[in-house]
Amino acid sequence: MASIAAAKVAEVRETTRVERVGAHSHIRGLGLDDSLEPRVVSQGMVGQLTARRAAGVVLEMIKEGKIAGRAILLAGQPGTGKTAIAMGMAQALGADTPFTSMAGSEIYSLEMSKTEALTQAIRKSIGVRIKEETEIIEGEVVEVQVDRPATGVGTKVGKLTLKTTEMETIYDLGGKMIECIMKEKVQAGDVITIDKATGKISKLGRSFTRARDYDATGPQTRFVQCPEGELQKRKEVVHTVSLHEVDVINSRTHGFLALFSGDTGEIKSEVREQINAKVAEWREEGKAEIVPGVLFIDEVHMLDIECFSFLNRALENEMAPVVIMATNRGITRIRGTNYVSPHGIPIDLLDRMNIVATKPYEEKELKEILKIRCEEEDCEMAEDALTVLTRIAGETSLRYAIQLITTAGLVSRKRKSNEVQMEDIKRVYSLFLDENRSMQFLKEYQDEFMFNDMGDSNDAMEVTDG
Amino acid sequence: MAKGDCDWVSYLSSAQRSALVENGVRKIHYKLPDGKEMVEEYNISTDVIQRRMWKAFDPFRGEKWNVELGDPLAQLDNVDSIGIKENSTAPTLTKRITKKSIEWRIRNLPYPRDVYSVEADDEGITVRTSNKKYFKKINVPELERAGLKTDNSLLSFTHQFNTLIITYKKPTKVTEMETKILEMAKLVSPTKVPDLKDAPSECRPS
Repeated sequence: MASIAAAKVAEVRETTRVERVGAHSHIRGLGLDDSLEPRVVSQGMVGQLTARRAAGVVLEMIKEGKIAGRAILLAGQPGTGKTAIAMGMAQALGADTPFTSMAGSEIYSLEMSKTEALTQAIRKSIGVRIKEETEIIEGEVVEVQVDRPATGVGTKVGKLTLKTTEMETIYDLGGKMIECIMKEKVQAGDVITIDKATGKISKLGRSFTRARDYDATGPQTRFVQCPEGELQKRKEVVHTVSLHEVDVINSRTHGFLALFSGDTGEIKSEVREQINAKVAEWREEGKAEIVPGVLFIDEVHMLDIECFSFLNRALENEMAPVVIMATNRGITRIRGTNYVSPHGIPIDLLDRMNIVATKPYEEKELKEILKIRCEEEDCEMAEDALTVLTRIAGETSLRYAIQLITTAGLVSRKRKSNEVQMEDIKRVYSLFLDENRSMQFLKEYQDEFMFNDMGDSNDAMEVTDG
Repeated sequence: MAKGDCDWVSYLSSAQRSALVENGVRKIHYKLPDGKEMVEEYNISTDVIQRRMWKAFDPFRGEKWNVELGDPLAQLDNVDSIGIKENSTAPTLTKRITKKSIEWRIRNLPYPRDVYSVEADDEGITVRTSNKKYFKKINVPELERAGLKTDNSLLSFTHQFNTLIITYKKPTKVTEMETKILEMAKLVSPTKVPDLKDAPSECRPS
């Protein structure tokens, strides 16, 4: 979904986007130089040199695009940067290569079978670059009119009047298009373009003639000239869509607008076969190009034996993407069986994988990561506070230390200081328990908690299989 | 697109052709060497071309035919499945060819005659309205194929029954070329079981 949107609205940046800081938003790439040698600190990545180097080699393999159906396993303890490496690969690949990220447990849904969810994920990771001529409607909105039926139920009817300097036309709108228009908050005076093939609407700005409509406008409001000439223009464009999107568009029951609403459901295998044949045909005719991408499955031990055997088979397909999996489990039970296997993955699948190990960070690296996170979260930290935090990260976990950054930042702001001092760290350290202290606490006081008479506490935490 | 007399004729003659006669219409399907596909429909009794359309590549809705000439294909999609389309009161342009001239009809134009201005320049014909309600640039592939430019003196237009009719007299070169192509088309014998699986069908099997 992200790739299709990015391909089409590259020119128009969203003006109301709010930046949120995520767990891995400081990562901008793998931090390798041209000869694939990892730099110690670069692009938000720290340490983990061999794993990053290996990821770089995999990246080259993906970029060449020749080899399909390889699997890479990132294995390592919790908090050793497995997801970070995958995110770095996604960033390094750029927006044009499809990168699908999913968690192992995402496949368990009531609406879809497990294999369907996996198939969709696989097909989302294969891009088709299509060159085609589309009709673009570009004009200034004169009027938007949406009529709801008097009874309140049933389809809405909409009309959109657009004009250029030379002409004016009324368009009828379908239900999904009305939703798009509402979502984009299109109103009279906006200059918009509509891609007729995909129904994608993008706002170019407001018309100059409407500049005096309001006394105040937002800082992002752009004023543009009313377009000239004809409303509809033919334009050659290159779309990168994923195979899954082509599937959805062609599954008759939904139509292409289901892409924007997201209700896709299961797709028949006949449809997929037809699409595969069609895409192969386009490829031969030079109309389309296949861009194999990457499917990243985090927490892969959550997949069960059926999924693993399905993956085994799916990887053999020549259209398969490169699958990167990450797990933090050691030798454990394969979900859905009573067999024990390394990483909870069957040996036959493990055999097909290139395994990349991540190692725990050293103290110096921990400090670098914490420094990067401080910058990312706009939090200034005193040198001694950072040292203490690094110690905490070493003794408890990196994630816990990163969480303390935010909270300590808030505490320091409350006492009107712009810099986080040691005392702030101490304060939040006492306020928030890490996993070890929490366990300690539970061991001491478990008699006073509810339902503590369950017997041996070791088995209670074990994952049960469905 | 091929330029000049010989070019267009030889371009079409290099195609793989098949024909079908149906309801008094001779349909010729051209499979051109550069991968394009084109269909021409001739009226058998008058030998005048009724329709010409090109196959377009549309990854989102399967195959699509762009009508260059003649009445547009019936649109079976409703507005909900395609999202947006012109209102039924919006002006529509159709083009047809008669023995002597090329004609464009723009329906749903209710304004009086003196509103319109129709001019020919090197790129084609431009229709304007002084009330800024309609504007269209029409290119004339027939002239382009013959290597000719549009000539203002051959152009005329009338307006009646909410329709603007633009007429362009065919130069002799265009007429000659059309005759050659028609002769070529007549040589293709209609097949009993036509290989027209690529041709558009009016009835879409579901």
